[in-house]
Amino acid sequence: MKKISRRDFLKVAGTTVAGMLAPDQLFSLKSTDSGQPNVVIILWDAFSAKHLSLYGYPRRTTPHIDAFAEYSTVFHNHYSAGNFTTTGTASMLTGMLPWKHRAINYGGLVKSEFAGSNPYSLLGEDYFRFAFSQNPWPDRLMGQYHQDVDRFLPPSAYSLMQDIQLIEFFKKDRALASIAVEDFLLPAQDSAPAGSSLLGYLYKSRTLNNASKRQTLAYSNNGVPEIMDPGYLIPYLNENVYDGVIFELTNLAARDQPYFAYFHLYSPHYPYRPHNNYRKLFRDDGYHPASKPNHPMASGLEEDFLLGQRILYDRQIAQVDDEFGKLISELDRNGILQSCYLIVTSDHGELFERGFAGHGFQLMYEPVLHIPLLIHAPGQIKHKDIFTPTSNIDILPTILSVAGKAPAQNMDGKVLPGFGGQVDEARPIFSMVAVDNPVFSPIKKAVISMRKHALKLIAYLGYNEMAQPFELYDLESDPEELNNLASKDTKTLSAMKDELFASLDEANQPFIKK
Amino acid sequence: MKLGKWFDGRLPNRQSILGVFAVSVFLVYSWTLFTSFYKLPSWMFYLTIGQILSVYAYAFSVDLLESILALAGVLLLDLTLFLALRNMEEFQSRSILVVLGALISSVLRFIHFPGYGDIEKFLSGELIWWAIALPLGLVVAVVASKNKWVRKILDAVAERAVVFLYIYLPLSLVSLAVVIIRNIY
Repeated sequence: MKKISRRDFLKVAGTTVAGMLAPDQLFSLKSTDSGQPNVVIILWDAFSAKHLSLYGYPRRTTPHIDAFAEYSTVFHNHYSAGNFTTTGTASMLTGMLPWKHRAINYGGLVKSEFAGSNPYSLLGEDYFRFAFSQNPWPDRLMGQYHQDVDRFLPPSAYSLMQDIQLIEFFKKDRALASIAVEDFLLPAQDSAPAGSSLLGYLYKSRTLNNASKRQTLAYSNNGVPEIMDPGYLIPYLNENVYDGVIFELTNLAARDQPYFAYFHLYSPHYPYRPHNNYRKLFRDDGYHPASKPNHPMASGLEEDFLLGQRILYDRQIAQVDDEFGKLISELDRNGILQSCYLIVTSDHGELFERGFAGHGFQLMYEPVLHIPLLIHAPGQIKHKDIFTPTSNIDILPTILSVAGKAPAQNMDGKVLPGFGGQVDEARPIFSMVAVDNPVFSPIKKAVISMRKHALKLIAYLGYNEMAQPFELYDLESDPEELNNLASKDTKTLSAMKDELFASLDEANQPFIKK
Repeated sequence: MKLGKWFDGRLPNRQSILGVFAVSVFLVYSWTLFTSFYKLPSWMFYLTIGQILSVYAYAFSVDLLESILALAGVLLLDLTLFLALRNMEEFQSRSILVVLGALISSVLRFIHFPGYGDIEKFLSGELIWWAIALPLGLVVAVVASKNKWVRKILDAVAERAVVFLYIYLPLSLVSLAVVIIRNIY
């Protein structure tokens, strides 16, 4: 007798439960009875648009996303407002720029007065609201409004470590308990020792031993991607996680209520450990990205090392793309795809150039800020391109707009073109990293990027080690950001600096002590 | 009744137990406070004073639990492994050395293998580490506590450590209340 796999079980269980609950709705093409549309966000952590074949990457990394794009709206110049998870995700969820919401430090939180600006609270009880982040930092952000989340899975859900759910003991204080317990007292791994000497040791030992054993059992040879930040070590198999997404969406679709679901999926985030099936992909394919000079603040990694990391990352993306392809065909098959707005995006990109690999550092170049955004509307069958620059702070206003809800006050984001918003070519798109700046003070130490038309200004504020604190690029003629125009086009530089500082001064006003 | 009598005859006196608990509390809480100073600068970057105090409330609650467990551990050892020794006079110093040994042993491994790259080393050496550290620690604790001077010093330490109970226990109870309230409302 054939053994039933976990994947088969989840598929059958999901379909059965959904079918039992609401057979009529399951294959319905309409949004919901109330007319309010279902909204689903699939977010891949650290997914740079620069590595998608959809956006012109020479390697064919994403054939399934390319196929999905054929009946979706594709945003070609979409930016994250931050270059690491906390800032990027908080910007998307609040619809605000980082200098306002202030989740600017690693693992930080949104300023309490703005915590209510999020899709969960603003969509309200009309919606069934679902949250799942494999990355603990967005989980922490959503913990700030846990009371408005109807189903809130822990980061370990659908992983190989489902027994480790420490945070589940502190459901009502999820955000702070995560900092106290998971970051400080009982971290599974961290550069600083655990705050709890004996229990911390026991917890670390148990977690690492379990993780190690289960990785070995799951794949024979280093095939399991891991969650490692911050203080976590949760191995997971992408196929299990995507089965989980299908299972959850099938159950949500069976409800007699519109739903909002946010899946923050960890891959292709570092560590890049694609399945063995991908180990030969892109090997010796002759692709050599443009060579770029080392950045003065970068760690000076060798070019060969960066090429090696890039190829691993691209393989990880290819694996994610395959899983996405299976997900889309399953959602298409059971009618869910036609009954929801499916938003596919990332929180920030990833960078392998100028002597640096990764994200979250003071580098604000295109690979780390330019993120994918594809939106499939219910019943959409035609492809649409949007080339005007947009920001991930526009996601929340767009969701509220399509759901017929009023936008929250103080939001910086605008409804996206193609979904009721206007094309505004003159609008500046800001991104920033301010990890060295306290959240309670005016922004004085940060790197801020401003994209306007085809021009991009990068300003290094408070970093004295930067001999040239401003960089200016024309992305149309110089997409690789190799030709700094700051000293050549001083007039444009001056105008863009004025605009940037005027916006920054305004944002800093509430933090200036009178 | 019979079980109570059995314990009465075997448990050390309350003063000694209190002394061991006081030293455990002192060691456990000191370590937490020490490690919190690594984190405090970053917390001050993004947490309010109230939030930082709440993090400490979690820390002190966990420390209270940890200290109680440490005491329970040494009492269990005394009722089992050390039962044959039957020397109540040495209980306090012996138990303090056991707690100290366990704590130092854990901390040493934290310090040696802190990061992601050390995971394999942490796991591979674990069995050998504890196979040596545990028996060695127990032997050292038993042998050292036979020495009059060691006993005298550790008893004096325990006597003085009791003062920390007056600070940490009320603080921990308040902390526990804070954690409970935060997780109810």
